[in-house]
Amino acid sequence: MNTQDIPPLSKDSPVVLEMSNISKSFGAVTALVDVSIKLRQGEVLALVGDNGAGKSTLIKILSGFHQPDTGTIVSQGKEVRFASPRDARAQGIETVYQDLALIGDLSVFHNMFLGREYHKRFLGLNLLDNRKMREQAQLYLDTLGISIPSVNSTVDLLSGGQRQCIAVARSIYSSPKILVLDEPLAALGVRESAHVLGLIQNLRQQRQVSVILIVHNYNQIFEVCDRINFLHSGEVALDASTADTSEEELIRIVKSGLGRKAIDAAAAEVRPGLV
Amino acid sequence: MPPTETKPAKKTGVKVPHTMTERLLILLSRYREASIAVVAIVLVIYFQFGSDGGFLSPQFMSVVLRDTGRLGLIAAAEVMLMITGEIDLSLSAIFSIAPYVMALLSVTYGVPLAVGALIGVLIGILVGAINGIITVRFKVPSLITTVGMLFFLQGIVVSIYNSQPIVAPVEQPFNAIFGQSLYQPSDALLSWHGITAFTPFLWAAVLVLVLALVLNRTTFGLHTIATGSNIIGAREIGVRTDRMKIYNFMIAGGFAAFAGIINTAQFTSADPQAGSPFLTPQAIAAAVIGGTSLLGGSGTVIGALIGAFVVASLNNGLVMIGAQATVSDIYLGAAIIAAMILSIQVDRLRTRRRV
Repeated sequence: MNTQDIPPLSKDSPVVLEMSNISKSFGAVTALVDVSIKLRQGEVLALVGDNGAGKSTLIKILSGFHQPDTGTIVSQGKEVRFASPRDARAQGIETVYQDLALIGDLSVFHNMFLGREYHKRFLGLNLLDNRKMREQAQLYLDTLGISIPSVNSTVDLLSGGQRQCIAVARSIYSSPKILVLDEPLAALGVRESAHVLGLIQNLRQQRQVSVILIVHNYNQIFEVCDRINFLHSGEVALDASTADTSEEELIRIVKSGLGRKAIDAAAAEVRPGLV
Repeated sequence: MPPTETKPAKKTGVKVPHTMTERLLILLSRYREASIAVVAIVLVIYFQFGSDGGFLSPQFMSVVLRDTGRLGLIAAAEVMLMITGEIDLSLSAIFSIAPYVMALLSVTYGVPLAVGALIGVLIGILVGAINGIITVRFKVPSLITTVGMLFFLQGIVVSIYNSQPIVAPVEQPFNAIFGQSLYQPSDALLSWHGITAFTPFLWAAVLVLVLALVLNRTTFGLHTIATGSNIIGAREIGVRTDRMKIYNFMIAGGFAAFAGIINTAQFTSADPQAGSPFLTPQAIAAAVIGGTSLLGGSGTVIGALIGAFVVASLNNGLVMIGAQATVSDIYLGAAIIAAMILSIQVDRLRTRRRV
């Protein structure tokens, strides 16, 4: 993948998503406090943070799986409220969860089309068009260069990397406006990671889909994202553009302060580089 | 999306099984219906020789197939639920109450049997919906929900008329369509009664085939499997898992009610104890022997029908070759446990070897 041939995101690229002042508690556990994030058309944003920082909760709110206690979500200029994952998908927000949401007992092609199956009429019945789904899945995976033994094999027989690729491919297939990837490299080997990063870089090149990447640390994804938001204890502690900040600098900031104040101070230091 | 420059990942090929045992187990895992069909054929041959040719006589077959039909309907419905990861133990009570209501409406208010049957099936579907809603909304394990429902309904049905069976009237064409008296030695096989004596089984066969079509060829079936295989994942991808469970409880209730109605049509009697306490366990046994595991995510309704035939053959065949009626339960019990061990071993081998 080549970073140099991807021009930086234009400053006047429209904002496609704005989550403002999102808070969420689960009983006594506070997961998010007043979190705001902004995403531009075609931008690749990385949400970085330790375990329990609130990354997963935030994207589960974005994908309609949880509802926020307070705060608003503005998508394509209008305020939206997601009661279920279906609502979020209807707004063009596709999410690849950490658990991949693949159904082990179903074939690869059934997984690809789960929730948006092709049908054919047979004796007045609405039956699954398995042949069409099989062909489309094969064609699409070939286009993405994803190789698996067979689209007919059930998902529980595939390797971790193959599953990740299927899950990402499934999400891109529906040509979403916003694609959320939760820990896409977590279970992957070097070659398979490179493959998924290649998929993301492709999206970034076309600037059609906006991507939110949720990752533990950003050394693997630094080259493929435009901006990094660092989450700490349920708050956005740092918001930095990768074009203006070096990887080393960010690592130093993140490592230096795990308290809000320290990070604020550190962030002030690199303020000119912030978006 | 243009192809990426990265090379495609290396194909992880299918490993070739080596030993005979492994090959056999893999064959079994692929064709679960076939393996239970082999068991059924072996049983038929054994009983046919053991009974000096009496087992396959139309008269005896009408008894075995009657049992197969009512058991198969309940077993197939139970399979759908087991695929979603749930179970329904109240089906035997629905089997009793639906025809009881039908017969009661007929003798008290002169309601036609066809209308009473429809009401009975609707009651079954309603009970299923209640079972489903309690299980899904209040997060009560279905094992408990449906045991409660079993006692509740059984209590109602015996208290209506002080446990008295009601003699159901015979109405034509209702009884010709849904169930005639058993095959008599005087009947010719191709006579009217020779055919209608088997209608309960034919109904079961048709409905199970419809269910197989629904399970394997429709979005409903796909989402049913998804719900039981990975409920969180299915929910994340937008499958309405709660509804899938409730709908399958409703199917189970409807099937059990219908099984009870054809049973009453055949016997022209609605017995509040018709769904004996053994009916549901036998149906679950048929489902398990037929190749459905209790782990959810997979199952076969056709296997359940063949499993029901195996259970019905054991129950009736052992008596016929001179064993005591109670002996068949020993074989049945052993068969359930053996089928479950085999099923889990096959699954384990399958995932380990990635075939």
